[in-house]
Amino acid sequence: MDARAEADADAGGTAVSAVLEVRDLHKAYAGVRAVDGVSFDVQAGSITGLIGPNGSGKSTTIDGISGFQPLDSGTVRLGGADITGMASHRIARAGLMRTFQTVRVYERLSLRENLMIAAQQFDAAGWIDELLRTKRYRGAIAAGEARARELTRMIGLMKYWEAPTGILSYGQKKLVALAAALMPKPRIVVLDEPVAGVNPTRIREVEEVLQTLNAAGETFLIVEHNVEFITTLCHHVIVLDQGRKLSEGSAEAIHADARVLEAYLGVAPELEEAEA
Amino acid sequence: MSADPIYLLQLTLNGVTLGLLYALIAVGLALIFGVLEIINFAHGELLMVGAYAMAFALPAFGLLYWPALVVAVLASAIAGWVLYELFLSKLKLGELERSILITLALSIIILHVVQLLFTASPRIVDTQFGFEGVEIGAIRITWTRVIGAGSAAVAFALLFLVLKFTQFGRAMRAIAQNREAALMVGIRPKTVARNAVVLATALCGLAGAALAPVHLVQPGMGQFLIFKAFALVIIGGLGNIPGAIAAAILLGLVESWVGGFFQIVWQEAAVFVLMMGVLFLRPDGLFKRGAMRVG
Amino acid sequence: MIVVAGAVLAGILPLVTESNYFIGIGVSACIFTVAAVALNLVYGFTGLLSFAQLGFWGIGGYATSLTVMTFGGNFWMGLVWAAVINAAVALAVGYPTLRTNRHAFVIVTLAFALLVTLIARDWVDLTRGPLGIPGLPAPSLFGFAFRTTASFYYIAWAFAVLAIGFLYALCSSRIGRTLIAIKQNEPLVRAQGISPMPYKLAAFAIGAAVTGMAGGIYAFHLKIIDPLFLDFYYMQAFLIMVIIGGAGSFWGVVAAGIVMSALPEVLRFSNELRMIIYGVILLVAMLAMPDGVAGWMRERKLMRMRAALR
Repeated sequence: MDARAEADADAGGTAVSAVLEVRDLHKAYAGVRAVDGVSFDVQAGSITGLIGPNGSGKSTTIDGISGFQPLDSGTVRLGGADITGMASHRIARAGLMRTFQTVRVYERLSLRENLMIAAQQFDAAGWIDELLRTKRYRGAIAAGEARARELTRMIGLMKYWEAPTGILSYGQKKLVALAAALMPKPRIVVLDEPVAGVNPTRIREVEEVLQTLNAAGETFLIVEHNVEFITTLCHHVIVLDQGRKLSEGSAEAIHADARVLEAYLGVAPELEEAEA
Repeated sequence: MSADPIYLLQLTLNGVTLGLLYALIAVGLALIFGVLEIINFAHGELLMVGAYAMAFALPAFGLLYWPALVVAVLASAIAGWVLYELFLSKLKLGELERSILITLALSIIILHVVQLLFTASPRIVDTQFGFEGVEIGAIRITWTRVIGAGSAAVAFALLFLVLKFTQFGRAMRAIAQNREAALMVGIRPKTVARNAVVLATALCGLAGAALAPVHLVQPGMGQFLIFKAFALVIIGGLGNIPGAIAAAILLGLVESWVGGFFQIVWQEAAVFVLMMGVLFLRPDGLFKRGAMRVG
Repeated sequence: MIVVAGAVLAGILPLVTESNYFIGIGVSACIFTVAAVALNLVYGFTGLLSFAQLGFWGIGGYATSLTVMTFGGNFWMGLVWAAVINAAVALAVGYPTLRTNRHAFVIVTLAFALLVTLIARDWVDLTRGPLGIPGLPAPSLFGFAFRTTASFYYIAWAFAVLAIGFLYALCSSRIGRTLIAIKQNEPLVRAQGISPMPYKLAAFAIGAAVTGMAGGIYAFHLKIIDPLFLDFYYMQAFLIMVIIGGAGSFWGVVAAGIVMSALPEVLRFSNELRMIIYGVILLVAMLAMPDGVAGWMRERKLMRMRAALR
């Protein structure tokens, strides 16, 4: 209860709709401050962008939020509940699903299986149900398959339904990873560079998929290098530079912000290399 | 059997001698792990090859210790070189399980070929020193043990100098610490890996040769020792050379002390208990894992 | 269909041949195949290269034998103890080890297997040391004693059918799929809300329990248990079955288990030569087709699929 009240106070009354609240994150590696006091909110139903040049602390920020890296200090709240320092799988169960910069799918499992695994932690069927193939298990499987088909249709990969995802192209795998993250209908989906390494002609497709899903009520936090992708898609953009929040605002405002341009100066926005 | 100081001192000296020989094996494993990121299951068999080379070279040289030792070290080093060129060089980085199964297969083959050729019966190896030893007061240690421990200590000093001050050693450390950076400055990983394997197997051959006169030489001797060396590498922190040496000497002491006062089963169990304890308390080993350090 | 037919066909082996020699091979084939399938669960599915299977095999053999010979229980109770003790030991060894990394896991499991060998040899008060415990009696059920090899074969066969059936139900369920997922991409599994540790521990403990029961039955087939029961030969045999059959391929390993247990018996080599041949098979398999016969077939299927879809 306290956490909720505090969150309300912090975000000045709008917190009821802030699904993710990040406060004063700090993380240093061997004395280098990778993230140095970052705070922001992600409003429910929004597409929020997190941009910044290489080494600005974007990846560390989302790894810290999703529990893949321990943080030095700061708090993270998901739907009002404190998830700071929780194990990554618990954060996922709490409703924060993420994708990875270098695409991760189960290459030897079929597209269907890839999506079904992503949802299995979230249904009511326990391991006894699984071994005995009970009604509850069959119900969970049927519901999961329906959801998986819907998402597969949306990303346009229905003909690969039973194919191992190892045979897909890099861009297609990114779409599979996106669909997998959406399987359990999470509170928020964090996308780590969803179009990095994707063929430019297919970026439009990703945009459309995300817009459709957002219209249906999904919340996204997107980390991206591709400024154009971010500005066309996002309602709200947060700019990081050298581990600090440089500015924040609507996509148009950020686009016009001289400081943002300066931070990017000398760094080509479409540079798609892994961060150090 | 109360804590007689002479008895204790004797146990301690035995422990250090034993520990130094364990360290020779463990350091080789740590070196190979540090540079190639693989676990060499055939390491014990290379030691056994060294011991057999010693056993055959000694009579050929009229029981002269030193020339036979050189032959044994060379035999193991050459075996290591062949092992690398034929098999290990084919592995890609990160193929840990494959490396284990390949070296395991080689270990089975070497072990049983030796057993087929020379039978499983143990051999006693005689040297120019026989059973003579040094006596300090009431304590007596045979020359072969003293020389074995001494050569191990000299080998470590040399290894330290090589890793610290030669181009050859620096390249090895560079690869172990930061592979990508090392590649960028033009270090050739295959050459370095080969050098590391040859160096590690030479140390292993030295251990085999030093053990031959104090231990029974038999085909299974390597398998038995390697299991302790693996445990040592875990206790010391994977890929950490000083850690492996420290853990080896510690184990030699613990085994010797435990063996002096308890049933033999506890002596053998000591290493496992030590390893599980370390893993419980410090999952990365007593000394931090990762970069291969020498100082 | 093939599987059911195969199981029934295997069940009538004693009706087809009177030769105790061949039925004996049948007993070994049933037991070794189960042990290989259990290792496949741990290594093939979950990706944990465990040498501890040899230790579990030995603990199972000793636990069953000691239950009967020292503690006055019967064979069936012995099997239950073999499973329970092994599962408990697997949890105790597995928990600290699985927290570390796969390098440490391999080494600890190997050290564990050797420790069990040492205990079997040196803890004379319990295990009677190198002499072992000869004269294990024939198991009996409701007054019927399984004295002949042919009748003992039915114990091994029933065990194989039940164990393989259970492991198949497990491997083909979502649990089995999750194990494969953990092997392929552990961070992704965690990002999907699944904690890998309970799955890995469960696979390790179930593998241990099943291997222990297999060991218990095998000891009573040999009618003696001694430290040779922990010969590294058994571990190598299980490993080769898994690798030739294809790690992670359920029926591939079952088939390889049956073929590979029968083959060396039929070929009748000396012990050394057999080990050398095993070593060479393992080496060649690892160099030429690391994913086994089943993996090679899967690769071909994938290539056809790619061609069809592009």
